[in-house]
Amino acid sequence: MIYLFQVLNGIGLGMLYFLLAVGLSVIFGLLQFVNFAHGAFYLLGAYLTYDLTMRGFSFWAAMPLATLIVAGLAALIEAVLLHRIYKLPHTFHILVTVGLALVVQELVIIAWGPLGGSVPAPEGLQGVVILGDFIYPQYRLFTIGFTAVLAGLLWWLLEGTRLGAIVRGGSESPANMALLGYNTLRINTAVFGFGAGLAGLAGALAAPIRGVEPFMGIEALSVAFVVVVIGGMGSYTGALVAGLLVGVVQSVMTTLWPEGARLMIYVGMALVIALMPRGLLGRA
Amino acid sequence: MTDIALQTRGLGVKYGTFHALAEVDLQIRRNSVHSIIGPNGAGKTTLFHALTGRVRASSGRIELDGRDITDTSDDDRVRLGIARSFQVTSLFPNLALRENLRLAAQGRTPWQALAPWRRAESNAEALAIADEVIERLALAPVSNRLAGELSHGQQRRLEVGMAMAARPRVILLDEPTSGMGIDDIEAMKQLIRDLGRDHTVLFIEHNMGIVMNISDVVTVMRLGRKLVEGTPAQVRDDPEVQRAYLGNMITGDIA
Amino acid sequence: MNPLDKPYAQLALALLTVLVLPLFLKSGILATEILIFAMVVAACNLLLGYTGLLSFGQGIFFGIGTYVAGICLTRWQVPVPLVLAGAAVLGAATATLVGWLSIRRQGVYFVMLTLAFSQLFYFVAYTFSGVTGGDNGLLGVPRPSVGGTALNAPWSYYTFVAICFVAVFAVLVMVTQSTFGRTLLAIRENEGRAAAIGFPTRLFKIEAFAISGAVTAFGGALHAMLIGVAPLSNIEYHTSELILIMTIIGGSSSLFGSVLGAGFYLLLADALSTVWPRWLLLLGLVLVTVALFLQRGLWGLVERGYDLVFRRERAPETPAEEH
Repeated sequence: MIYLFQVLNGIGLGMLYFLLAVGLSVIFGLLQFVNFAHGAFYLLGAYLTYDLTMRGFSFWAAMPLATLIVAGLAALIEAVLLHRIYKLPHTFHILVTVGLALVVQELVIIAWGPLGGSVPAPEGLQGVVILGDFIYPQYRLFTIGFTAVLAGLLWWLLEGTRLGAIVRGGSESPANMALLGYNTLRINTAVFGFGAGLAGLAGALAAPIRGVEPFMGIEALSVAFVVVVIGGMGSYTGALVAGLLVGVVQSVMTTLWPEGARLMIYVGMALVIALMPRGLLGRA
Repeated sequence: MTDIALQTRGLGVKYGTFHALAEVDLQIRRNSVHSIIGPNGAGKTTLFHALTGRVRASSGRIELDGRDITDTSDDDRVRLGIARSFQVTSLFPNLALRENLRLAAQGRTPWQALAPWRRAESNAEALAIADEVIERLALAPVSNRLAGELSHGQQRRLEVGMAMAARPRVILLDEPTSGMGIDDIEAMKQLIRDLGRDHTVLFIEHNMGIVMNISDVVTVMRLGRKLVEGTPAQVRDDPEVQRAYLGNMITGDIA
Repeated sequence: MNPLDKPYAQLALALLTVLVLPLFLKSGILATEILIFAMVVAACNLLLGYTGLLSFGQGIFFGIGTYVAGICLTRWQVPVPLVLAGAAVLGAATATLVGWLSIRRQGVYFVMLTLAFSQLFYFVAYTFSGVTGGDNGLLGVPRPSVGGTALNAPWSYYTFVAICFVAVFAVLVMVTQSTFGRTLLAIRENEGRAAAIGFPTRLFKIEAFAISGAVTAFGGALHAMLIGVAPLSNIEYHTSELILIMTIIGGSSSLFGSVLGAGFYLLLADALSTVWPRWLLLLGLVLVTVALFLQRGLWGLVERGYDLVFRRERAPETPAEEH
C-alpha cells in the first residue's frame, strides 16, 4: 500500500517535471536557446502563488494569476533583452539567463525573505480521499488529474494546431518562417512567454505540496535538464515518459532510502547515459 | 604488390530502407587519376563516406592494397593512407594556414599529440610536410594568414592540401573546384594532374572539362549504382551515358 | 597576435600578479583566495576557451579536492604534498569519468549533463554525511607546515599558495602550447575536420577534462586548508556556476584572462557583500552586460587597451566561438 501511495506521489511529481521540461523544450525548439532562467520562472510562480494566497486570494485565483504574471514578465524580458542575443554563441545565452536567474532569486529574497514558507492546500481540497484502507490527500490527486488534462491540451496544441506547427517549423528555419509571412519576432516573444508560463504553472501547483524557498529554482532547473537529457529535447512523449519515470523513482526511493532519494534521480540519469547515450527514446 | 591501390566488391550502404549505394565494384589503379561523375543523388559522396569510414558499409568489402579495411575506423584509415578533402570547405578558420597543414600532418601520428608536454614544433617532420605542401600549392605568401581570411580559391587549394599533408597513398577529392573562378580552376586542374604522378587520386567532379581532360579512368554513377566505366573517350561516346546526361553535360575536349 | 598573448608574457603577468597582490590588498586571505580561484578558473578555461566545452561541473572537482584535504588532514594526518597529489589524481579520475559520460552528448545536451552531474556529486556528498560531514562539513582542516612551523599567518600561507599557483599556471601554459593544446584548438574550431585528419577527438576531450579536473581538485584542496573547513558548499551547483562565471567574465581567449576573472569577481564580492548582502543581484546585471557589450571579457579589454596605447592596428573583433 505504501508503494501505491508513493507511486501516485511520483506521478504527481513527474507531471510537474513534465510541465517544466515541455516549457524548456518549446523554447529550445523555436529559439535554439537554452533557458537557464527556467528554474527562476518556476520559483517565481511558486512565490507569487504564496504571496497571493497570503493576501487572501483563493488558490483558484492565485494559480492562474501567478502563471499569467510569470508568462507576461518572461515575454517582456524576451522582447526587451533576449532577442538581442539569439545570434550570439550558446555561451552567452547561458551567461545572460544565469544572470537573470540570479536577479530573480535575489529579488525573491528581497521581497519575501530568505526563509521560505508554506502554502495551504486550496479550499475544497484540504481533506483526504479514503478508499478502503487507502488514504490519499485530495490536493495531490487533483494535481494528477489537472496536469493530465493539461498534458492532453499540450499534446493537441503542439501536435495538432497551427501554433504547434509554427513552433516545430521554427526549429527548422527561422528564415523560412519569415518567408511564409509570420512575424517571427512576435512569435518568439509569445513562445518564450508560453514556455516560461509552463514553468510558472508548475511552480504554482508545487507550492501547496512542497512549500516555497528561494533555492527551489536551481533544483527544478536541474531536474528539468535530467528529464530533457534522458527524454530528448523537443520530444513530447520523451518528456512525458522521462518526467514520470524521474518522479516515480524519486518518490519510491523516498520510502526505500530517504536520504538518497534525490541522489537516485541523478544516478539513474548517469546509468541511462552510460547505457543508452542517445537517451531513452533514442532521438537527438 | 598488385597494381590496384583501392578496390571495392559489392559495396552497399543503406540509410534505413533506402539504398544509397548498391553493388559497387571499383578498382582504382595505383598512381592514376580516377574520377567519379553522375547526377546529384547518384551516391558519389556516400561512396566517399564509405571509403573513408565515415559511414559503415552495410554490405560488400573495401580493400586497400589488398588489405580488408571494411571494418576499420575512419581515423585508422587515415593512418593506413586514405585522406580526403571535403565538398564544402572545412578548415580551422581561426588558425594559420601553416598550422592547418601542420595539424593535418600531425594527424598521421595522433597518439604523439596526446602528450601535453611535447612542443608542437618538436615534430620536425610535420612542419617539413606542411612547408612542402605550401610550396606545392603555391601558397607561401599567405602561409601565416588565418585560414578564414584566405580567398575562396586559396581555401579550396588548402582544402586539398589538408588531404595531401596526411601523406596518403590514396587521396579522395570531393568536388575540388566547386565555386571556383576560371583562373583558380586551371590551377586546380594542374594540381590534380600533378598529384596523380605520385598519388592515387579519386575525385568527384561536375566540371566535365576537367574530368575529360585529366582522368585516366572515369566511373559514371546513377541511383547508387555504377553505370559505366572506361577512359574519358569511351565514357563520352557511351550511348547510355549520353542518355543519362541528355547529351548536354559532357562537353569537355579530350587532350 | 597580440604580444600579450605570447606564453612568456602570460607567465610574466602571472608572476607579476603574485608580487603585486600583497602590495594592494590588506587581507592575505583574500589574496590567497584570488590565486586559488585563478588557477581553478584557468583550468575551466582549458575546457571552455581551448576545447570549446562549456562545463557546468567544475564544482565537482573542486569539492572533491576539498574533501580529499578535509578527510586526509583531519583523520589521518597525511603529509600535505601527498594530499595535494592525491587530490589531483582523484580529481583527474573523476573528471575522466564525468567527461567520458558527458561528451557522449553534444552542444547544449553536454552542458545540461555537466550541470546534472554537479547535482549528482552534491547529493553524494550530502547523502554520505558520515564521510563528508554533510551540511556541517569537515571542521579543523590544518594549514601545511614548513620546517616544523605551520603556515598559520595569512601571508605565509599566501607564499605557499603563490608558489603552487605559479607552478600550476606554468603547467597550463605549457599544455596550451603543446601539440596536445594546439590539437584542442583544432577540435574547438572544427571537430569534424579534426577527426577526418586522424585525431581521435573524444580522447583529446577526455584528457582535457582530466587535466582540468586535476588542477581544479588541487585548488579545492588548497582552499580547504585556507579556510580551515571542507564545506558542503564547495561541491554545490553554485561553485560550478561561480567558476564558469569567472571564466567568461575574464575572457576565454587567454589563460591570464582567467586570473583577471577570478580577481575581478572576488574583489567585487568582497567590496559589495559587506555593504549589501543581496549583491548577487548586481552580479546578475554584470553578466548581462558582459554578454551584450564585453564578449571577449576583461582580457578583450586589456588587448584593446594595449592596442590603443601602442598604436597598433586594432585587431578585428572576432566573435567568440560556438559551442
